[in-house]
Amino acid sequence: MGRLILKSVSRKFNNSFAVNDVNLEVNEGEFLCLLGPSGCGKTTVLRLAAGLDTPSNGEIFLDNKKITGANRECGFVFQEYALFPWRTVRGNIEFGPEVKGMQKEDVRQLSQHYIDLVGLTGFENHYPHELSGGMKQRVGIARAYANNPKLLLMDEPFGALDAQTRNIMQEELLRIWDKEHISALFVTHSVDEAVYLADRVVVMSARPGTVKEIFGINLPRPRVRTGPEANELRNSILKSLGAEIKKLMLQV
Amino acid sequence: MKLGSGKNGLIINIFSIVGFIFLWHVLIVLAREDIFNIPFMRLRDIPTPVETWNALVGSMFTRIYGPALTYGIINHVEASLIRVIQGGVLAFAVGVPLGIGMGYSKLIGNILNPMVEIVRNMPPMAWIPLAIFILVSGGSIFIVFIGMVFPIILNTIYGVKSTDPRLIDAAKTLGASGSGIVMKVVIPSALPSIVAGLRIGLGVGWMAIVAAEMVIRSPVGLGYFIWNMGDLGRYAEMVAGMIVIGVVGYFMNISILLFQKRFIKWAD
Ligand SMILES: Nc1ncnc2c1ncn2[C@@H]1O[C@H](COP(=O)(O)OP(=O)(O)O)[C@@H](O)[C@H]1O
Ligand SMILES: [Mg+2]
Repeated sequence: MGRLILKSVSRKFNNSFAVNDVNLEVNEGEFLCLLGPSGCGKTTVLRLAAGLDTPSNGEIFLDNKKITGANRECGFVFQEYALFPWRTVRGNIEFGPEVKGMQKEDVRQLSQHYIDLVGLTGFENHYPHELSGGMKQRVGIARAYANNPKLLLMDEPFGALDAQTRNIMQEELLRIWDKEHISALFVTHSVDEAVYLADRVVVMSARPGTVKEIFGINLPRPRVRTGPEANELRNSILKSLGAEIKKLMLQV
Repeated sequence: MKLGSGKNGLIINIFSIVGFIFLWHVLIVLAREDIFNIPFMRLRDIPTPVETWNALVGSMFTRIYGPALTYGIINHVEASLIRVIQGGVLAFAVGVPLGIGMGYSKLIGNILNPMVEIVRNMPPMAWIPLAIFILVSGGSIFIVFIGMVFPIILNTIYGVKSTDPRLIDAAKTLGASGSGIVMKVVIPSALPSIVAGLRIGLGVGWMAIVAAEMVIRSPVGLGYFIWNMGDLGRYAEMVAGMIVIGVVGYFMNISILLFQKRFIKWAD
């Protein structure tokens, strides 16, 4: 369950390719990080996988089912949280189950489970504007999980957080992910984050984005951020990514 | 602007009201004593604050003079308010769905936009002759409706259009579609604008009702009251009525603002 396959997927905007011929697989229960210079089409790939956008060419499959139209089997965690500001923490998390037409008591039980899981116990009735960035993204993660997805799609979820909170949230995400192992496609532009989180890291080329290189991270979790193997991996990934960033700078 | 805001705001507000009333009094007294007058104005005919206050108190409640009955200001306020509420409910019931449709669907927007853009530029008062001509009753309510419906439509459209597209995406990935997105995302997101439209609309509606009541006669209504008092030369009552119009309008505005604060907590 939760096997995502992108088969030579392209997406054109205004007759120019934003992503071109992307072939990518997220295996069952795998944590895959997508790394690439800004504007290379990382968000576009995630939106295509979620069915929020349709590829110009190519096909996308989730568990061998072709994705056409918005896919509720994906849990999307957004860059700037995208929480419903008029709903409380609980209300945000209950959105998916509510839309599904679940019984009121079941919805309540489910939301409480995820509120506790992400460590927001006591904040159930807070509105998003009353929360810190880290707490907002906890809501974002719980909201995605509460919809019982087969695949988690996360678009730079910690990009707006300060370094310290970011590290904590990475640990928290792995702790939650460890409890309910779902395949995850995680977009980031931080090499450190990718090496800390991922089973495999996919480096994308500069626009038009395509898969440039794939790195396996076979380090046991919990990981030491500064171990020698981690450092070595970081170096090779940085080299690969750096070349793309250079290309981008020469273009403009 | 809200009264009583800022440092010592309320104290300054009170002083300014007292100062204004004092100035008003002095000006009228000087004119009556032939000491000072503004050219081309009959300042001496304007009631003083005290005369106005006495007129206000004296005509606040219904009184019976022999066979004749004069309605109190309370009754006039009530009648005008009821008309504004009736016209407002109608405008809300029509304006919000129209605004949502026009804001959400390009097709509906394109169909209705030409009419809305032309008709909304006709002031409510321009509709009074037509209202008299075609409506058997409820002309004033219709004028209120005209005054209120466009601010509501325009603000609803604006609210709908400024719905964050990422919230719609989020709702889609959570399984919402079609009407679910409208009910659970677009409308809640537009709600602050809709209420703002209602608030602006009420201001316009309140002005419209007073104008309409001056022309579309009925025994009660503030517009009718001040016009009638003017006709009878009872200027103190007339000015008292004018002040009541201002005060009632002020409290209508404040109550919507309080409603907004109380029920739309998320829009910090
Ligand atoms: N809706 C759109 N219309 C036109 N161009 C778009 C649209 N969405 C994305 N793009 C373009 O596609 C490219 C990839 O965008 P995006 O996927 O957001 O990149 P990333 O997330 O890697 O920074 C960018 O050059 C961006 O300007
Ligand atoms: Mg992006």
